[in-house]
Amino acid sequence: MTNATVAERPAGSLARILRATGEVLRWAFLLFWAVLTLVPLYWMIIGAFKDRMAVTRMPPDWIPHPFVLDGWVNLFKAGQPLLWMFNSGLVSITVTLTNLLFATMAGYAFSKLRFPGRDQIFWIFMASMMIPGELTLIPLYLLVTSVLNMGNSYSGLIVPHLVSVGSIFLMKQFIQSLPSSLMDAARIDGCGEFRLFWKVVMPLARPGLAVLAIFTFVGQWSSFFWPLLIANDTAHRVIQVGLATFKYENTTDYGAMMAGAVLASIPIAILFVSMQKHFLKGITIGGLKG
Amino acid sequence: MAEVVFRNVTKRFVDAKAGGEVTAVDNVSFEIPDHEFVVFVGPSGCGKTTSLRMIAGLERQTSGDILIGGRNVNKVRPADRNIAMVFQDYALYPHMTVRENMSFALQNLKRPRAEIEKKVKEAAALLGIENLLERQPKELSGGQRQRVALGRAIVRDPQVFLFDEPLSNLDAKLRVQMRVELAELHQRLGVTVVYVTHDQVEAMTLGQRIVVMNGGRVMQIDKPEQLYNHPANTFVASFIGAPPMNLIHGRLEQADGGLWFIGGGFRVKLPEQRNEAYSPYINRNVIFGIRPEDISVAGEGARPEHTIRVPLKLVEHLGAELLVYFVTGETTSIARLHPESGISVGVPASLCFDMRKSHLFNPADGQVIAVG
Repeated sequence: MTNATVAERPAGSLARILRATGEVLRWAFLLFWAVLTLVPLYWMIIGAFKDRMAVTRMPPDWIPHPFVLDGWVNLFKAGQPLLWMFNSGLVSITVTLTNLLFATMAGYAFSKLRFPGRDQIFWIFMASMMIPGELTLIPLYLLVTSVLNMGNSYSGLIVPHLVSVGSIFLMKQFIQSLPSSLMDAARIDGCGEFRLFWKVVMPLARPGLAVLAIFTFVGQWSSFFWPLLIANDTAHRVIQVGLATFKYENTTDYGAMMAGAVLASIPIAILFVSMQKHFLKGITIGGLKG
Repeated sequence: MAEVVFRNVTKRFVDAKAGGEVTAVDNVSFEIPDHEFVVFVGPSGCGKTTSLRMIAGLERQTSGDILIGGRNVNKVRPADRNIAMVFQDYALYPHMTVRENMSFALQNLKRPRAEIEKKVKEAAALLGIENLLERQPKELSGGQRQRVALGRAIVRDPQVFLFDEPLSNLDAKLRVQMRVELAELHQRLGVTVVYVTHDQVEAMTLGQRIVVMNGGRVMQIDKPEQLYNHPANTFVASFIGAPPMNLIHGRLEQADGGLWFIGGGFRVKLPEQRNEAYSPYINRNVIFGIRPEDISVAGEGARPEHTIRVPLKLVEHLGAELLVYFVTGETTSIARLHPESGISVGVPASLCFDMRKSHLFNPADGQVIAVG
């Protein structure tokens, strides 16, 4: 054994200890983060099976005791959760589909077609993203209710969200990364602009569409404020607004609310599990090369 | 099949960054006869791809007329021009199989299914890609993709084939192979081909005629050997040929009963039969041009008026030949010599010019001084 290897040994084991400590700290942090994220979900689920008093008890019971179905019974007795779910589904699916279509069309036009004022229009669109939603809420409400007369209707819930600037931006970024020669080839192959869009752009934009679909659906499904303002009658109530009806003047029926929240989470959970791959891709999509 | 005609075609782009218009193609006119294989060559931004895209209808010219098969196609959309194009990146639809890629154009034309099937099969057989028909483009190698792109063009039975640097994404070996295949395909199909490349070897080997472009203008249109031996200007002289033609600035003077080029630290006598053509340029600045292979080591029979003695800068051994860099005034010129020329750096060498193959250019416009 040479002197050099003797000298290296303590340094080597120190590095190993440091590395192991780093690994432990990293896992500890991730574990902490996971617990932090999962506790509210767990609390929601167990809350649906506790009685009215137990839900708000401090410190909380981590296992429901007694295990009751009062929340579920109240949810179905006092509310119309199936109708609310249907309303939410109808609005979310429609808005998702229209966003997919219109945002892809606009994204294609802004990224691949040449027309006067293209860049100026796009930047006006972008600038509108900087205006907080709260600022435009009242004008939008007045427009939809007084001018378009769409209060308490599905149209009122859907029309203002047919396409969003964010969706257009996402699809523009994605379509920009597709080679223009494919569109040129399709034009030479006899495609008109619409057929080109339908047969070439749409299929190639599929990964972008998947991401947009997830984001839009989740955004619409969990939307609360606009549906609360625009459709407050029982027929057009969506699930998120419906859940809020369990908050009474002096009390809140947390059991029913938690049961409703569990119900409302099911479609989202299914969506996430089935499209996890696309969702992860979506996080990096903004960084696609232009 | 059909001829392609450009009449005074100009294309200007609005360049927001430059804050004005950029002329990509500047008043270009030419005729490509039926069945001819024409290659457009030139440096980046010379307007060759823009010209091709205007033939395809992917760009609309700012002014001028384009005719395909005698028909003015100024307002005809790409699909109705009866052309097919092979792109640099092949532009195969990634979501379709090879069969779907090849039949897409015919489907758009609403041709009967049986006819589409037959044409795809024929083209696939011609290119040897029958076994790839059910594959997706991502499952193919570069050469296979190239063949599919060709097949997609062939099934349409176009009047004109357009190629936009189709071999530039292939490795060197495959490029040579595909070059030969393209030439054979042209012979077999007998179609009009317009081919764009920046590679002069492709241009020289494939083109029946070559259009050399620079700065949006046509510099010369000619057969490859004519282009090489009789360049119309200094641009063509220096663009075609590797290494390029030596161009040496100097003066034309009359002395000892003949005309002499004096410049680059030497003087050489020009061929007497060109005296008449060159006489208007006596005592004026000219550019002397000679190709590296038209220079040899001066032997015993070398004419002294064609021989120069120059210091050597560098000798490159390429196996079959030597590239010898020698000093001519402020520039360096190149001679392509036999590997056993016995030349070495540091020792001045006597080099002999084959003056019959020399050229004189007018420095004012770079045009060759014609010798009748």
